[in-house]
Amino acid sequence: MAQAVTTPLTQNVLRDGLILPRTPDPAAMVIFGASGDLTARKLMPALYNLALNRYLPSGFSVIGVADTALSEDEFRAHMADAVQKFSRTQPVDRAVWQSLAEGISFVRMPFDDESGYGRLAAELDRVDRERGTNGNRVFYMATAPQFFSVIIDRLGNSGIAKAGEGWKRVVIEKPFGNDLKSAQALNKAIHSVFTEQQIFRIDHYLGKETVQNVLVFRFANGIFEPIWNRRYVDHVQITVAEDIGIERRGKYYETAGALRDIFQNHLLQLLSIAAMEAPPNFDADSVRDEKVKVLKSIHPIDVGKDVVRGQYGPGWVGGQQVPGYRQEMNVMPTSNTETFVAVRLKIDNWRWADTPFYLRTGKRLPSRASEIAIQFKNPPHLPFAKTAVEELTPNWLVMRIQPHEGASLKIAAKIPGPVMRLRTVNMDFFYGSSFMVESPDAYERLVLDCMLGDATLFAREDEVERAWGLVDRIEAGWASQPAPPFPNYDAGTWGPADADAMIEQDGRRWRRP
Amino acid sequence: MIQNHGELSARTFVDVHAIQEELDQVRWGLHDGAGSEAAQHAAAEARASVSNLIAVVSNEPELGAISSVLDRLSVTNPSRTLILLAQHTRAADKLEAQVSAQERTESGHRVTTERVVLHAHGEPARHLASLAAPLLISDLPVILWWPGRPQFDTPLFDDLCELADRLVVDTDDGFDDADLARLLKVARRKKAQASIGDLNWARLIAWRHVAAQFFDMPGMLARLAQIHGVSIFHGSDGLTAQARLLGGWIRSRMATIGIDVPLEFRVDESFEHGVCQFLIYTRGDDGPARFSLSRLRGNRLLTQIRLGDQDLAPRTVRLDSRATEELLSIELTLPGHDVLFEQALDAALR
Repeated sequence: MAQAVTTPLTQNVLRDGLILPRTPDPAAMVIFGASGDLTARKLMPALYNLALNRYLPSGFSVIGVADTALSEDEFRAHMADAVQKFSRTQPVDRAVWQSLAEGISFVRMPFDDESGYGRLAAELDRVDRERGTNGNRVFYMATAPQFFSVIIDRLGNSGIAKAGEGWKRVVIEKPFGNDLKSAQALNKAIHSVFTEQQIFRIDHYLGKETVQNVLVFRFANGIFEPIWNRRYVDHVQITVAEDIGIERRGKYYETAGALRDIFQNHLLQLLSIAAMEAPPNFDADSVRDEKVKVLKSIHPIDVGKDVVRGQYGPGWVGGQQVPGYRQEMNVMPTSNTETFVAVRLKIDNWRWADTPFYLRTGKRLPSRASEIAIQFKNPPHLPFAKTAVEELTPNWLVMRIQPHEGASLKIAAKIPGPVMRLRTVNMDFFYGSSFMVESPDAYERLVLDCMLGDATLFAREDEVERAWGLVDRIEAGWASQPAPPFPNYDAGTWGPADADAMIEQDGRRWRRP
Repeated sequence: MIQNHGELSARTFVDVHAIQEELDQVRWGLHDGAGSEAAQHAAAEARASVSNLIAVVSNEPELGAISSVLDRLSVTNPSRTLILLAQHTRAADKLEAQVSAQERTESGHRVTTERVVLHAHGEPARHLASLAAPLLISDLPVILWWPGRPQFDTPLFDDLCELADRLVVDTDDGFDDADLARLLKVARRKKAQASIGDLNWARLIAWRHVAAQFFDMPGMLARLAQIHGVSIFHGSDGLTAQARLLGGWIRSRMATIGIDVPLEFRVDESFEHGVCQFLIYTRGDDGPARFSLSRLRGNRLLTQIRLGDQDLAPRTVRLDSRATEELLSIELTLPGHDVLFEQALDAALR
């Protein structure tokens, strides 16, 4: 006979040994911009795969919001098509999709239409009543950035953001502002309705398995951390290179450029992860505190000396002739928007003082590569004859984010033979060779984390503002310079000659990723 | 992910030193180009062994099927594999070994794994562990996979368990209560103690996961403390190990908070095999509740909650139908003793 326990349970004992500590609470996700590309390509496939793998709770519901002439059935059919086309797992399981689709509804409204929010509130009430979501809400801003403040304002005014029981969270897509002032204004607008704990600023780079693996690599292996400092590291190179151009994003890219599009978020995130101190634990504030400390410690940049910008002209990439940036669709023929930026940074703390960090990103470079590369200092003394070692290159530790995810360590080895001759060889770890399983999409991880209330892999207010502060300083420096001689690199090359000159001044060279 | 599989070489040996030498050749890629620099480089970048895997097969026809599973397993767990075929009944003592290398290409990088098939007749069949030991890659865990019902009472079983860090079986493969009890004994013995993995336990992950999710829901945790019964329906083929393990699991978990859960096992004639339905009954301030998981055709689970006379929104999720290599892969990534499994096994037998 079962016996009743006298003290109330504080934890679900059936969870012991399972991967996730808990399932998210039943919740409704309101997607603003539900008829857009992001919802179709990323969000809905991510939700479907979470449902497929049993990570979503019973009663989970999606309310799509957009000013598009769609009936509820048409919206569901559109989402079904999107999942069919973009889900990483195929074929799509019809029964699982059907089960998820039963919780999908649609509200048509312009984002600034106050009366529309009344209809949204009524729909949320219905979902709470019929599906047991208990007032738990995720408001996902999958719209163009100019709508973020408007929607937040209306959510506040209509009472939806605070109504009733349950938690409320808001997810903001990048770009989060376009300079420090606009980021601060956006933070202020959001904070007028939501607290910082309710805000989840997405940089999907942080959801990538291999970016998280950098943290594991550093903090779960005792052999690297002791040499991860100025005493042993000569310098660090962080590269986010793309071989594609701007595709159809000319209108957006003209207002962003490489500095805002990649440097402000992805590159500075990689810098923070590579340079941060070990957090005491992996909770949101501990990790983000350490990342912010890195951004706070960046030595003031001399834009004239430490930053190089570039723009690609016509050229050849991967055997194909491609136009220059100024010839791309929706780009001004006299545009001075940068498609390449290289920055030399120093971090003023005990670990990294005087150790340069070289960051670069660009479009239409010869290949696609994201990596953190660390060059170690040469040994203080080599007991071998000079002739035997002059070709020796330094030790490099390279953590590849994409493609060919993994790590390489370049070491010296003796060439077999009667004399002492040395050669540099690579020791490679390919993530794919040891774990040949398909990784979840970054959005799956991030959406689930948001529903669980874990903000570790999301950017915090001070982090975003620090990053914009750095970008503003660079923009201000550029504004005081004469117009750049764009285009200054051919598509299919590794950027302008000035970027090479900047690093060569220090007696170093860019790696070829 | 581009993959390409192929067998590089397959040669036969009878001497352990010759086998070791051949393994070294295979491991360091000296067959291609007879040790050319390019071949050595290609081999050097290809090493990603995560374990030594010893598989024991009972007859020659089984060898092909097990080899295919191990081929597919090497995609997620590149390992050195030893396949042992011990045939005690043959009169003449004989030992044959075949060494081969399997190659696949992933994103332009060659990955090679080695396999040794050891086929022993007569007396050598009793001492295969002594041949397996020197062929293992040092410092990598040794996994002993014994498909079918292990020969628990043989010296070979004990010797191999002594070599192994983990013994993996499949209790769905005809295990009766006596076999389950022997398995538990292996997990608990002081000497030659290998941790135990069970592919059948891995099959229950989805059931455990979804059952646990019921009580993550707001207000439901209190009901967990008010469980008064569990019913498990299983197929009509007479194999009950999976149902027993699931029952043992919930019983052992609830025992940690001092609750003894009565279990009821019933046959569902509409399914031939495996667990079909898992029902948890609770009391509560607002009346009784039933939490049910039902297997649907097409590898799906339907979850339903009935609170009093009210049904909450049902949900359909995937019930993974995992291939043997996927189940093995799960078992291979678990570190150390699977205490939960051992407790479930223990509770299943009480």
